[in-house]
Amino acid sequence: MKSTHIQHLYNRIGFGITPKEITRLSKKNKQDIVDEIFSTSEKITPLKIDTSFLEDVKPKDLKDRDKKRELQKINRKKVNDFSVAWFERILNPKEIFREKMTLFWANHFVCESRNNIRFIENYNNVLRENAFGNFGDFTKKVSKESAMLGYLNNKQNRKKSPNENFARELMELFTLGQGNYTETDIKESARAFTGYNHNFYGKFVMKNKHHDENEKTFFGKTGNFSGDDIIDIILEEKQCARFISEKIYTYFVNENINKKHIEEMVSVFYKDYNIEKLMRFILLSNWFYENVNIGTKIKSPLEFLAGIHTIVPFNFERPKQILLIQKLLGQVLMRPPNVAGWQIGKNWIDSNTMVRRLRLPSILLNSAEITYSDTGDEETMVSDLKSKKLKRKAFIKTKVDWNSFEKNYKTTSNKELISLLLTNKILPGTRELLLENSNIPKKDFCIQLMSIPEYQLC
Amino acid sequence: MKRRDFLKQTSFASGMFFVPQFLKAFEQQLPKTFSHKKVVIIQLKGGNDGLNTVVPFGNDLYHQQRKNIALKESDVLKISDEVGLHKSLKSLQNLYNKGFVSIINNVGYPNPNLSHFRSTDIWQTASDSNEYLQNGWVGRYLDVTKSSSVKAIEVDESLSLLLKGKTQNGLAVTDSKTLFNSLREPFFKNVIHHNSDAHLSEHNLGYLYNTLIDAKSSSKYIFEKTKTKSASNNYPKNLFGKQLKTISQFINSGLETQVYYAGLTGFDTHANQPNTQARLLQTYAESMEVFVEDLQKNNNFEDVLILTFSEFGRRVKQNESQGTDHGTANNVFVIGKNLKKQGLYNNLPNLGDLDANGNLKYEIDFREIYATILDKWLQVDDKAILNKSFSKLSFV
Repeated sequence: MKSTHIQHLYNRIGFGITPKEITRLSKKNKQDIVDEIFSTSEKITPLKIDTSFLEDVKPKDLKDRDKKRELQKINRKKVNDFSVAWFERILNPKEIFREKMTLFWANHFVCESRNNIRFIENYNNVLRENAFGNFGDFTKKVSKESAMLGYLNNKQNRKKSPNENFARELMELFTLGQGNYTETDIKESARAFTGYNHNFYGKFVMKNKHHDENEKTFFGKTGNFSGDDIIDIILEEKQCARFISEKIYTYFVNENINKKHIEEMVSVFYKDYNIEKLMRFILLSNWFYENVNIGTKIKSPLEFLAGIHTIVPFNFERPKQILLIQKLLGQVLMRPPNVAGWQIGKNWIDSNTMVRRLRLPSILLNSAEITYSDTGDEETMVSDLKSKKLKRKAFIKTKVDWNSFEKNYKTTSNKELISLLLTNKILPGTRELLLENSNIPKKDFCIQLMSIPEYQLC
Repeated sequence: MKRRDFLKQTSFASGMFFVPQFLKAFEQQLPKTFSHKKVVIIQLKGGNDGLNTVVPFGNDLYHQQRKNIALKESDVLKISDEVGLHKSLKSLQNLYNKGFVSIINNVGYPNPNLSHFRSTDIWQTASDSNEYLQNGWVGRYLDVTKSSSVKAIEVDESLSLLLKGKTQNGLAVTDSKTLFNSLREPFFKNVIHHNSDAHLSEHNLGYLYNTLIDAKSSSKYIFEKTKTKSASNNYPKNLFGKQLKTISQFINSGLETQVYYAGLTGFDTHANQPNTQARLLQTYAESMEVFVEDLQKNNNFEDVLILTFSEFGRRVKQNESQGTDHGTANNVFVIGKNLKKQGLYNNLPNLGDLDANGNLKYEIDFREIYATILDKWLQVDDKAILNKSFSKLSFV
C-alpha cells in the first residue's frame, strides 16, 4: 500500500503513525492492513480508575448532608481523574481504532455526569464495549445507563407526567436527525420510556408503577410498546441507517457528504446495523483514499494533541494542566458543551483557538508560556469568583521524550519530515519559508512544522 | 536551538513574502461606520422560562398549570395589577422604573422547533424553521456592510454561528490583552504569508490562514484602542459580570465594534427549576444594572441598545419534577435610553389559547425585532441581511 494512503488511514482510524510502522505496513496490501487494524482493536480493555471510596457508601449516607457534600466533592475529583485517565489512554492506545471509535461515540451518544464517577465510568465503558457492535443493541444499552437516565431526565419520566427530554434527543440526535419524526412521535415514545430508572449502584431498574401500560401509536404502529420496541421501530426506518452513516462519513471521511458514498454505506449498514461491517466497508472502499479526502479534515483538539504525541511523546507533569489545555482548545473530555456534542470541522477554529493551536507545539515541547482568560461553564458562571483571578498565566510542565523522536526519525532529513508529518499540500509561501530554514536542528524543524496552519489538517 | 533564536532566525524571511493587499488596507484604516449605534445581544442559554420571569400572577390559569412553581403575588415585583417581575429581578426593575426597559411578549416563529440547538441556530441565523443556514445574521451584517471582523465581537473563548458570515466572521475575544500578547511574536508574522489571497477560498486551509490573519490585525487594533480605558468595578464577580465589564470597556474606549454578543448559561430547567432560575435571573439583572450605569457615566448609553433573548420559552404546564419542558414563544427584553415604547410593549401571552402541544402561540416573529434593529437603529438594509422583508416594530 502507498505510504500516503497508510498515513491517511492511520490519521483517521487513530492519531497518526511512526515512520517505522509505515515502512512495515507498506509491504502489505489494503485488505491485510485493514484486517490487522480490526484484530488489534478486537480486545476490549475497560478504562477504570480507583473508586474504592464508594465501596462502603450506602444509600442512607446521602441523607447526611455533610457526608453527601463530601461524597460529591470526591466524585467530582474522580470524574476529573477519569478524564485524565481517558486522555492518557488516547495518547497511548493499545486498541487504537477502538479508542478512536469510543471518542466518536462519546460525541454521538453524548452524556455528562459530574457527580457520580461510578455512573460515568460505566457509561464510558459501554461506549468502548459497543464501539464495533450492533447499533440497535448499543442504543438500547445507552437508554438504560444510569448516567443517561439522569442526564436526559428519563428517570423523571413518569406515566402521570411524561418527561420528553430523552425521547426527543433519542430521535433528534441519536438515531434519525431533525425533521424525520413528529411531535406526536416524541410524545408517544416518551410514554414508552416511562418508569425507566436505576438503583443506587447504577443498575437499571424498571419501576412498573410509573410505566405507562396503555397503547401507544408510533410511526404508524400501535401497541403497548416498551422503550426497546420504540428503538426497534426506529431501526426499521432507513433514515436511521442514513443518519448514522452520514455522521460517520463526516467524522472519518469528509465533512462534505458524497451522496453516492452514503447510499453505499446505507445499503451495508441497514441490513443488520453491524458497526464493524460498516467501518470495514469504508476502509476498504476506493473512495476513502481519493485525494479529495486526504489531508482535508480539520483535526479535533484531541486529534491534534494525540497527533503531536505520536511524533514526539510527552507527558504532562500536572494532570490538571491536561484539562486546562483541552479547555483552551475547546474540547474537554467528559465535558461536552451540550447534548449535541462538539460541532466539528471549521467549528473547532476561531481566532482564539487558531492562535493557541499554532503556539501549542512550542508550549508543549519547548516550555513556552501560555496566557489565557477563564471562561465559564455553568458551574463557575454563577459561583462567586471573588478570590480567584480571571486571568492567568501558566507554564505548561511537560516531560518530552526527544530520544524517542530522535530514534524514530534518525534517518529522516528535515525535508522528508515534511511529508511524514503532513499529508496535504503546503501553501507555496510557507513552503519556501520552511525550506529557507531547513538547515536548523531536526527538533526545531519539527516544532516549526507543527506550528503552521497546514498541520491542523489530517 | 532555543525557540527565541528560532524566531530571530526565521523573522528575516518575512520580507520576501508580501502581506496581502487587503490586510494592509485593513491595518491603515478601518472602514467607515454607517452608524455609530451599537447593539449588545445577550442570550439566556437553555430556554429561560419566560412565564416565571415576567409573571402573570393575576391569572388563574397560570397558577393551575404550575402548582408547585408558580410565583405568588408576594413573590413578584409588580409592574401592574396583573403582572410582576420575578423577585430576583430587582436590579432590572430599577432600570424598568427609569423607563429604560421594553418587554416584548409572545416572540417566536412559525413551526417552532423545540430543540435547543436547532432553535438557537434559528435565532442566530434568522432562518425559517425548515431552513438550514450556515451563517448568522450578525455575520451577514458584516458581509453586507463589507465590515471587518472587529465590527462584531463575541465575548467568549469561541465564536458562535451568530457571528459567522459568508465571507466575514466576527471575533471571539475575552479580553484584549490576552489575544494581543499571544499574537505579538514575530513567529506569527512569519506564518502569515502566502503568495496571494486568491488561494484563501472556501476550503479548510484557506479558512485557517484567513482566521489567523484576521486575528492578528484585529487584536492589535483592539488592544491599542482599549489599553488605557478601565471599567467600573461594581460588576458582579462572576463570568457573566466579567463579560459585560469587557463589553463596557470596549464601548467606552470608542471601538468601532457595533455588535456585541454574550451569554448566560444554565436555563435548561427540566427539574428543580425555582432555585436555579432565581439565581440566574439575579446574576443577569445585577450585571445589566451596573452595565447601564457604566455606559451612562461615559455618555454612551444613548447609543447602545441591549437585546436579551432565549432560544425558546418553557411549556405552560410544569412537569412532575418541579421543572418545565421545552416550549415556544417567549418574552424579549430591549434595554435602551430613548425607547419609543417603554414598559410592556404588547399583551401578555394568552394562557387559554395554546397550540396542540400545550404551548404558547407566538404573536411577533423574532425577525421583526432584528429587522427593526437593522433598519431603524443600525440603518442598514435589513432585507439584504435577513434574506426577506419583515414588518418593523416601534420600540426604537
